[in-house]
Amino acid sequence: MAPVTLSSVRKSYGATDVLHGIDVDITDGEFIVLVGPSGCGKSTLLRMIAGLETITAGDISIGGRVVNELEPKDRDIAMVFQNYALYPHMTVATNMGFSLEHRGGSKGEIAERVNWAADILGLKPLLDRYPRQLSGGQRQRVAMGRAIVRNPQVFLFDEPLSNLDAKLRVVMRGEIKALHQRLGVTTVYVTHDQIEAMTMADRIVVMHAGKVEQIGAPLDLYDRPANLFVAGFIGSPAMNILAGSIKDGDFHAPGARLPLPGDTHAAGPVSYGIRPEHILLAPNGLPATVLLVEPMGSETQVTMTLGEQTIIGIFRERLTARPGETIGIMPELSAIHLFDAADGQRIN
Amino acid sequence: MKTDLSPRAKVALYGLMCVLLIPFVFPTWWMVTSSVKPISDIFAFPPDLWPRRFDWSTYQQVFELQPFARQYWNSAYIAAIVTVGTMLVSSMAGYAFARIRFPFSNTLFMVVLMGLLIPSEVTIVPLFQLFLSWDMINTHWPLILVPIFGAPSVFATFVMRQFFIALPVELEEAARVDGLGRFKIFWTIALPLAKPALGAVAIFTFLHSWNLYLEPIVFLSSTHMFTLPQALTQFTDAYGGAMWNIQLAAATMTAIPVLLVFIVAQKQFVEGLAHTGLKG
Repeated sequence: MAPVTLSSVRKSYGATDVLHGIDVDITDGEFIVLVGPSGCGKSTLLRMIAGLETITAGDISIGGRVVNELEPKDRDIAMVFQNYALYPHMTVATNMGFSLEHRGGSKGEIAERVNWAADILGLKPLLDRYPRQLSGGQRQRVAMGRAIVRNPQVFLFDEPLSNLDAKLRVVMRGEIKALHQRLGVTTVYVTHDQIEAMTMADRIVVMHAGKVEQIGAPLDLYDRPANLFVAGFIGSPAMNILAGSIKDGDFHAPGARLPLPGDTHAAGPVSYGIRPEHILLAPNGLPATVLLVEPMGSETQVTMTLGEQTIIGIFRERLTARPGETIGIMPELSAIHLFDAADGQRIN
Repeated sequence: MKTDLSPRAKVALYGLMCVLLIPFVFPTWWMVTSSVKPISDIFAFPPDLWPRRFDWSTYQQVFELQPFARQYWNSAYIAAIVTVGTMLVSSMAGYAFARIRFPFSNTLFMVVLMGLLIPSEVTIVPLFQLFLSWDMINTHWPLILVPIFGAPSVFATFVMRQFFIALPVELEEAARVDGLGRFKIFWTIALPLAKPALGAVAIFTFLHSWNLYLEPIVFLSSTHMFTLPQALTQFTDAYGGAMWNIQLAAATMTAIPVLLVFIVAQKQFVEGLAHTGLKG
């Protein structure tokens, strides 16, 4: 276990800047998730921590030691790759013990560590198989086994669940989380899936276009997104964002007027955010025209127009409204998010 | 590709394949059967598909007229060294061109490939002068060194490079994290995975060396140093006429290793070429 510190880390490919100065402090034993859309630089950052990419500027330290110039093998990290990267010509046991073998471990020690890891991950019956003889989930487990067998200071995961089907992804998510709780090793996990980030992380680093947009605990990001990007990225379905302006204590959007909390001091053009589950049914509320009703069982998702803008609401009630009908809705005042219309930063 | 053909179409297809097989199988059949015919029966018309009389003494005469066992050994050990040497050189060169970033790597690769455009007949005289200056004429060194560092190795380098380019880079990155340096990654990860491509390289390098004709007749002059293709031309009577049945017996024995190699390794050969994208 070791803390990881990223100080003003930059990465450029020729004249193209990919990372624009990243600062993150990861505490000892923390599970941190780097999340963002494709191309935001999250995998590049992880690879820089691993030593697979050079650092253009800034410092990366692991356990208080700057590792900028160190080879991956000297950083005491282990990495799980998106496509598992298991050696196809080696058995599960050889794959798992490979790094120890090349670090001069004795046969007895290697066998002991491999058995220990196989025990934790339920891989004992598979030790003599080759990767081609395993299912996707089993391969993923072997990749994790290969990582833990060496007892590194930091685990790095690069979108490890992307190749699995939805059901298996949920199972493996739980297993990775359980493994972290059991071993307590500092973990940096990259994903583009915000649900994965929300369910697994101690803290999430939201990245966009090579910059950190916000760092915080999953629910902090959900409840108080720092800007429009985070508001739109975290949460599924995404937060409804309405463009308009504040006048006379109300929010005016094209064709609709929405109430604001009494303590709102902002004025002028703003973006008004409200999450789908914070829109309530109110017979005497704002009139919204139903476009689509999607019953999910435990709740009903309704796509509708409010004034000239389309929004999504999620209701606990079983709605019988049909497309084209009008329903009354009301935003939960305590759950309204306001963002500056010019720079997208939170203002309430 | 799986196709659903009607039984009639299948019969027609197999029939056509059998007809197309004739031009390929007939010469081999003629060679093998003629090697045990008396010389007067070989050119009988119409030709006999099955010998009327068997004369096995031709195989004995092959060894009496030439130091054929020695020549067989010459071909075998030269082909073995050339095959192993080419596999080593081409796999390392192919890996370097595919995986190691160095200045002008693509240009250098093009320069190397251009070696394939120069026919061996063009370079044979300068090579003769070179090996003469090294005092290597009438030795097997030219037959070993020229293929390992010449055109066959260039083609093999191309095949290996294509294979290594397609190898997932994450395997090497995982190996780097596991603590391996560049050479160990090549030796313990990349090379074992390159078996299909190496198999293809081994087969065509072996065949090329085994069938080499121009270089032996230029560089070798002693009968006991000859390789098989050169030795085959030596089965003549006192007037320079070919002793056909004996020559065909020698040719049959010459073809056996080639057939064995291909039968044993044809699957790897096809797989290897498929990996390189050379297969049509």
